[in-house]
This record gives sequence, C-alpha cells and structure tokens, in this order.
Amino acid sequence: MRILSTLATAVLAAATLCLAGQATAEDKEITIGTQCDRTGPTQIVGIRLCPAVQDYIALVNSKGGVEGFKLKAPEIDNEYKVPPAVEAYERQKQEGSVSMMLYGTPQVQALNQKLEEDHIPSTSPGFGISASADGGRFPYLFPIAATYWSQGAAAIKFAKDKLGGDLHGKKIAYVYYDNPAGHEPLPILEDLQKSEGFELRTFAVPPPGVEMGAQVLDITQRFKPDFVIDHLFGRSPSVAIKEYKRAGFPLSKVLGLVWASAEADIDAAGGWGVAEGYHTLQFAGAGDDYPVRREIKAMYKAQGKEPPKEMDDTVIYNRGLLQAALHVEAIRNAIKANGGKKPTSEEVKKGFESIHDFTLDGLVPPLQISGTDHEGGGWVQIFQAKGGKFVKETEWFRAYPEVVAAAVKKAE
Amino acid sequence: MPDFEWQFTLVLLTNGIMIGLMYALIALGFVLIYKATDAINFAQGEFVMFAGFIAAAAADMAGAPFWVCALLAIAGMVALGFGLERVVLRPLIGRPVIAVVMATIGLAAVLRGFAVLVFGAGTRAIVMPVTDEPLELGPVMLPPVQLVGAAVSLVFLAGFTYFFLKSRTGIAMRAVADSQQVAMAMGINVRRYFALAWAMAGVVSALGGVVWGAMLGVDNQLALVGLKVFPVVILGGLDSIAGAVVGGLIVGIVENFAAGYFDPIVGGGTKDFAPYVLMILVLMIRPEGMFGRRRIERV
Amino acid sequence: MFHRESGVFKTSYAADMALYPLPIAKWAVAAFAGLFIVIAPLTLDEYYVSILNLILIACVGALGLNILVGYTGQISIGHGAFMSVGAYTAANLVTQLHAPFWITIPAGGVMAALIGAVVGIPSLRIKGIYLAIATLAAQLIIEWTINHVPAISGGVQASIQVPRPTVFGTPLKTQTQLYLFLMAFVVIAIVGTSNLIRSRIGRAFIAIRDQDIAAEIIGINIFRYKLWAFAISSFYAGVTGVLYTYYLGIANYEQFQLTVSIDYLAMIIIGGLGSILGSILGAIFVTLLPIAARWFLESFGGLFVSQADLANIIPNLRLILFGGLIIFFLVVEPEGLNRLWRNIRNYFRVWPFSY
Repeated sequence: MRILSTLATAVLAAATLCLAGQATAEDKEITIGTQCDRTGPTQIVGIRLCPAVQDYIALVNSKGGVEGFKLKAPEIDNEYKVPPAVEAYERQKQEGSVSMMLYGTPQVQALNQKLEEDHIPSTSPGFGISASADGGRFPYLFPIAATYWSQGAAAIKFAKDKLGGDLHGKKIAYVYYDNPAGHEPLPILEDLQKSEGFELRTFAVPPPGVEMGAQVLDITQRFKPDFVIDHLFGRSPSVAIKEYKRAGFPLSKVLGLVWASAEADIDAAGGWGVAEGYHTLQFAGAGDDYPVRREIKAMYKAQGKEPPKEMDDTVIYNRGLLQAALHVEAIRNAIKANGGKKPTSEEVKKGFESIHDFTLDGLVPPLQISGTDHEGGGWVQIFQAKGGKFVKETEWFRAYPEVVAAAVKKAE
Repeated sequence: MPDFEWQFTLVLLTNGIMIGLMYALIALGFVLIYKATDAINFAQGEFVMFAGFIAAAAADMAGAPFWVCALLAIAGMVALGFGLERVVLRPLIGRPVIAVVMATIGLAAVLRGFAVLVFGAGTRAIVMPVTDEPLELGPVMLPPVQLVGAAVSLVFLAGFTYFFLKSRTGIAMRAVADSQQVAMAMGINVRRYFALAWAMAGVVSALGGVVWGAMLGVDNQLALVGLKVFPVVILGGLDSIAGAVVGGLIVGIVENFAAGYFDPIVGGGTKDFAPYVLMILVLMIRPEGMFGRRRIERV
Repeated sequence: MFHRESGVFKTSYAADMALYPLPIAKWAVAAFAGLFIVIAPLTLDEYYVSILNLILIACVGALGLNILVGYTGQISIGHGAFMSVGAYTAANLVTQLHAPFWITIPAGGVMAALIGAVVGIPSLRIKGIYLAIATLAAQLIIEWTINHVPAISGGVQASIQVPRPTVFGTPLKTQTQLYLFLMAFVVIAIVGTSNLIRSRIGRAFIAIRDQDIAAEIIGINIFRYKLWAFAISSFYAGVTGVLYTYYLGIANYEQFQLTVSIDYLAMIIIGGLGSILGSILGAIFVTLLPIAARWFLESFGGLFVSQADLANIIPNLRLILFGGLIIFFLVVEPEGLNRLWRNIRNYFRVWPFSY
C-alpha cells in the first residue's frame, strides 16, 4: 500500500514536471486551437485532415515561421460530440489561441456564441452554418469555402451543363444524409427547381447510412433520374457508390458534394474500378500536383522520413492544407497590420477579412473574404474519377450567387 | 402503372429478405450468448467489426487467400470469446442485468479503440472470391456477397437448431441457461459451457464480420451494424435461434418497405425506426417477442 | 457525511426522517456548500469553471436517470431524447414568446415529463431488457420527429439559437455567473431527489425495484408509479436539456443522441445505482475521464511517441480507458463509487479501532 502510494505520488510529480516543462517562450509563439474527430462518425475525414494541418504548420515553421513568429496548433479530439468540443475550446482559449479550427457542424453551432463573446475567429470550411457567409451576422465564423448552399447551387449548374444546358423536364435526385447538414441545401435546390424547371425528388438516408439498398433501388428503378446529387458523410458515400454500381446505375450521372468526394470514399467503395466516372465537388484542389505538397514531401525527406500515408488521400489532405494556409495567411495579415507585434484574436479576425488573391498555386480558389462575405465567393471545382485518380473536370467556378445571397439574407 | 409498382415491390421484398438474412447473421451471435449465459451483448457490432479487421489485416499483410483469412478470423474470435468470458463475464455472474449490459457497452468502447490502435483507422476491404456482378432474376438483382451471407445464415440456422435440439452439448447448454444451479447439481460444468457459448458466438461473429466486411468494407464504423441487432432479437425473442432469423427477415423487409413506400410520404428517414415501432407493437401483444420463451417470475 | 455517530436518539418520527438528522451533518454540508458555491468559482481559472459547469449539468441528468434506473429498476436508454425535448421546448418558448428562464426551464421539464410518461406506457406489459430496447426506440423516434418537424426544430438546420438567460436584467455571460446559475439548479435537484426518495412515492419506487409483484399485492399501483418514475426522470432530463441550451446558447438534437444516453447510464452505474451521491460522483467521473485521460497521455506520451502518432493514439487510448474503467468498476465494485465512498467512510468511522 505504501509502495503504491509513493509510486502514485512520483508519477503525479513527474507529470506535473512534464507539464511545467512544456511552458515555452510564449512571446514568439502563436497558437491556433484545432479540434478533430478521429474516433467518431467522421473519422474517415479527421484522420487525414488534421495531420495535414500539422504538416503545413511544420512546413511554415521550418521556413522561419510567420513574420518571425513560430506557430503551434495543438489538437484535441472531440469525437464529434459537443461537450468535449466546448471543453477543448475553453482549454485552447486558456492557452491563448488567437484563432480556432473547429470541427463539425453541431460544434460550430454550439460554440458560435462563445466565439462572439470571446472575440476569437474560427473557420468551418465545407461544413458549419451556411448563413455564416454573412459576416455581419456571424462576425467570428468564417466558412472560407463554399457553404452547403453554394455547393448545392454549383451542383445544379454542373448538372445543367452536363445535360445540355437546359434542365426543363429533366429529373434530378437528391440523396442526403438525414441530419441538419444534409438538409441544408434543400431550400436552394427547391428555389432552383422553380426557376430551372426540373423535377426534384429527395431521398433521405438515416445516419449512419451503412445500408441504403432500398433508397438506391427506389432511385434507380422507379425514379430513373437524369442526374443524382449525393450529399452524404462518413461511410455512406462509399456505400452509395457500391449500391449504384450494383444496381447498374452509371456513376457518370452522379455528383458527390464535398464530403462524398475523397479518395477514401472511392477506396472504401472497392476501388477506382467501381467508381469510374463518379463526379466530385471540391472546395480545395485535388491531386498531387501542387507545389506545397512537394514542399511538404521534401520537408519529410530532409528529416529522413517517408511522407505520411495520409497524403495519399489528396482530397481531404489538401483541404487540411487549405484550412491551415488560410489561418497562416490571416495571421500574416494581422501581423503586417499591427506592425510586427504578436496579434490578438481580434486582429486575426480582421486578418481573415482581408484575405484575397491567395491561391497557393491553385490549391485554394480565388477567395475574396471581406467583413460582409466570410465565404469568399462560393468557389468549387469538379473532379472526376477516371482511370485510377481524380482528373480535373472544370476550373474554379461559382453558380447562382443571387440565389445563394437571397437565402443568406432570408435565414435568421 | 400497376405493373411497375409490382416489380418494385418484388425488388424491395427480395432486397429485404437478403439484407434480413444478413442481419440475422449478426443476431445469431447475440442470441447464442443470451441463450446460454443470460448476458445481453451490446458489443455484438464490435465483435463483427473486430472479426472483419482480423480477416482484412490477414489479407493485407500476408496476402493470404480468402479461406485462410476467414479461418484466421474464426480462430481469433474464438480466442477473443474465451478470453472475454474469462475476464469480463465470469466475475459478473449473478449481478443484475444492467451490470452485464454496461460491461458489454464498456467492452464495445474498448474494442473500438483497440481495433483502430492495432489495425489503423483506414477502411480495409475484404475481397470475396465471388463476382461483383449481381445475379439477375428478372427485375430482381441479387448481389453474390449477400447470397453468401444469406446462405451462411441459413446454414447456421439449421446447424444450431439441430445442435440445441439433438446434440448432447446443445442440450447441456440449454440446461445451463435454464437453471445454473440445477445444471451444476446434475454434474454439468457450467463454466465450460459458458466459455463454449461465447466461443460459438465468436464463430458466428467471425463469419458475420467477413460477410459484412466484404459488403461494406471494414473500419471503425462497421460496428454500427450492431445497433440493428436489437429490433431483430426483440421481435424474434431474445433466446430463440429461429426467432433471430425470422426477426431478421421481418426487420429487413419492413425497413425496405418503409424506405420505398413510407419515406416519400413523410419526407424520409423512417427506415431506421420503422422496425422499432413494429417491435413495440409486437411487444405489447407478446412481451417476450414472437418466439421467445415466456419468463415465469416467481415471487 | 463526515461524522461519526454515537448516542443518536430521536424522539419523534419527523426528527428521524429529517434530511440531516445530526447537527454536525448540517455543518458539514454547509461547509461543503460554502466551498463549492463561494470559494471555487472565485478562485479557479475560467477553464476549470467551465469544466465544473459541464459537470453540474451532467449531475442533474444523472440524478434523473438514477431515479428511474436506480430507484425504480427500469432500464432506460432514451435519456438523451428527453433532453432534446426539453431543449427544443425551451428554445421555442424563448425565441417565440421571449419567456424568461424561470418559465422555460420548468416548461421544458414538464414537456419532457409528458413525453416520458408516454414512453413509459409500454412498461405496463414489457419488462427488463425489452423495456430498455423500447426506450431505445423512443430515442430514435423522438430524434426523427425533431429532425423532420420544422415547427419543433426551427427549420432545416434543426438548431435554435438562444440568448443567454437574464437574471434581474443582467445576462449571464461569464463562466462564473453561469456556474452559480447552474449550481442553484443542481442544489434544487439534489434536495428534490432526497425528499422524493424519502417520501411515499420514493418508497413505492424502491418497492417496485425490489419486488414488483409483491408491491402490487400490497396495493401499490405499479403502473401508475412506473409512469410517475418515467415522468419525473424525464423532467430532470428535460431540465438538463434546457440547461445545456442556456449554457451553449443553442438547441440542437445532435448533442443528445444515443451516445449521450449511454454516457449517462455509465455515470449512474459507475457512480452507484440508487444513491444521490453516486449520481454526482458518477457525473464527475464520466465527464472528467476524457479530459483527465487526455491530460495524462499528453504529459507522458510526448516522451515515447512522436507528435503525429500521438494525435492518433490519444483518442483511441481514451476510448479504451473509458470502456476499460467501466468494466473495471463493474467487476471490482459493482455498487459503484458510492460504495467505495461508504467503505472509506466506514473505515474511518471506527478508526483507529477497526478491529
């Protein structure tokens, strides 16, 4: 008993010492608080996106940091639940984070008020609240990428182009994950249905969506649409691809929105042979052909290590790079604006709002973020699964900005 | 077009039957454990996932052919079954049911974390030596993977029914489930049969894991199919083998019809809870499920 | 709590049934209350107060679930759904009628209680694990209903923003203010539960748990009391949901899904079924576990593995720790932390003459 208690005290003492030892020189270090989901329903994304963030930060640090400041991005897993996300936020706030990379739509919604109260900006690329594109109403939330509304509008535009420029009389099926994020594009699609004249039918897939035979049968056998838009998350996109293939429905008629469009989904569906022709909507460039990826690989080689296998999923990895790069850019703007001092979170918020023409050689779309537009324009790019990899199908484009803007205004 | 609807109904029906038999495969493991040891296993989905991981890892790492992977999965799950019964379940004999339930919930978390630590978080595929092209019978398409799963289910149904009715070990297991003390008094080694029950459940889970893994791909989220097991076993009766299969069929068919016919009316998503509604209705009429044994409570 | 008894004689029934039979018990509780209500929020850092806030909200929920599972013996896996019922009721009242918190919190609780009573109806016929799965069905059905009825959920996003509660005109913004706000409700919940258990209804609950057929024979209408158990437990859950809503500023059903129900079950089982202290200890334990595990692994893990690997390992080790500790407690101490505490207390009660 005595030995046990002495051992316990020794362990605790060592732990405290370790923690104390971690207090580094804070003056030259900027902290970005990041959260991730590595064990929950969206782990298929988290395990690739979050290492990308860390890699980019390491790359920036290896080049001397941001205007002389080193960066730190401590990551906390929130299991896609809200209370851990709140606790992680408080912890990272205490550590002096000047900006946050929140993860998950419910988490963004839960922490929105706190971000406002604490004046800390956070990004939510490809998820979060679509109405947060309005910087006036959501001053501390930055989608910095096409929101679900913009994605829905772009999907319709792509369908229109694919079906000969006119959607009158055509049938479009919208398959979606039956949760708030899945519901979000619905108003946009219904608005466009009226103005473009196509027939829309929606098919809900209840979470977790690991079995959707009936829905796919309903789509392929009864509805027989000309085009299908898949707005699914987690494991359900790969299940959908498999089911379409089984039902004999050509995947070249299917477009997956941003979270149904990664190499991981193709792999989980059984490989590129199964998914041949599948279109994917991206808000960050896909593929390996970007200078920043080469730089990261070189950085690993210089340390004598192999590039991590997370880089193989270019879609999700590049999204992590996009997110990290935009945070770094915002911090850079903030430092430049305040004359070289360590920025406050308020200054970083303004730094976000002055991002424009930062494209990272095509990986990032030409975002124009301002005080009123936190989305940056709603740019997307379509890649198609062809011959074993993603092939760029369109350049960066945006669609129906008036419809999206009207929806943003209407949302309360 | 009535003809068209009839076709669709037939398609939904066959899809429901196929997927129902696949559900039954998972439910069989659950029923085995409950039948023999009175333990409610909330970790059934995780068993299936772990088995799938073993098979997929064997295929990936050693390039072993499918049969070897399946055998390895069975061996691994039997070992896991023995081990778990020893470490977790034996100390909990005689405790209230909620303790065992909670222990299996804890076990589920441990298996999930452990599987990712050991096998990594990516999704792995299990390749079955069957074609990917579905078998077409008129308007109905039957994927070979599901056919295999259905066949395995039916084989288990026949096998276990015979086992529990006719073989010595099976009858001994039923005796143990009925009353442990009397069984012990009759000279039956209760502990051995508990272990055996868990090992058998391991075998069933292994095959379930291989089949479901082939259908969906193996990763952390495969464990979620375990949630489906509850309406199946409750409908069929917690301790009935035949009930597991019948329950599975009913749940599969109800799900498909809900998705095909009910969803468009109410806007979607009914597929998941339609079986539960049916389950409650059945329970109100027959509180032990359709084939479950009536529990006689002694005051 | 922290006292030894010797020579305790009561001369009236009321005195015997009092909440704090001994004067020293009252002093001990007062000191405890002083520590937690006054000293803690003023001295602790904001981050720690925020963790305490999360624990406080969990306490209310755990107390409610313990009434149903620990005292009445009905297993329920639908606790999370009742929380979302309460949350959305309150959120709708706030956004549409601008109701103040002292209306919305009871209203959320009452609404959840009504739904809880409806969910309890099958308990007339169904028992044990079957009833548990029926409550699981309720969880899924309620989630679906909220998701698909925009009138309840406030639109496609199914989340309703709620402003902070105002007390006498001041909105509660800081963690410390929220702490005192939440603490008030926890105190009410604890006192309410203690009184409930010592009352006639509470004794009926315990009778149903112990031997429901015998209880029926001696004239307790078990169906009615089971419904009451469901209703009261759901009331607590509804209040918990409203408190979450006020704390976070948003009502969203995705916060109250099946994993939350299971978390609360874990809380009361680890803490100890059928005890108030157990509910609180369990709430503290389960809420703190992921935080403590992460803190522990971060301090040590850095020594052994690289940062990138660590990020992958920590969440999974945390899952293993969570499940492992549940199993450990169940195997080693089935009556939970409460029993552990009582053992320690009994040891000191006769110390140093423990022989």
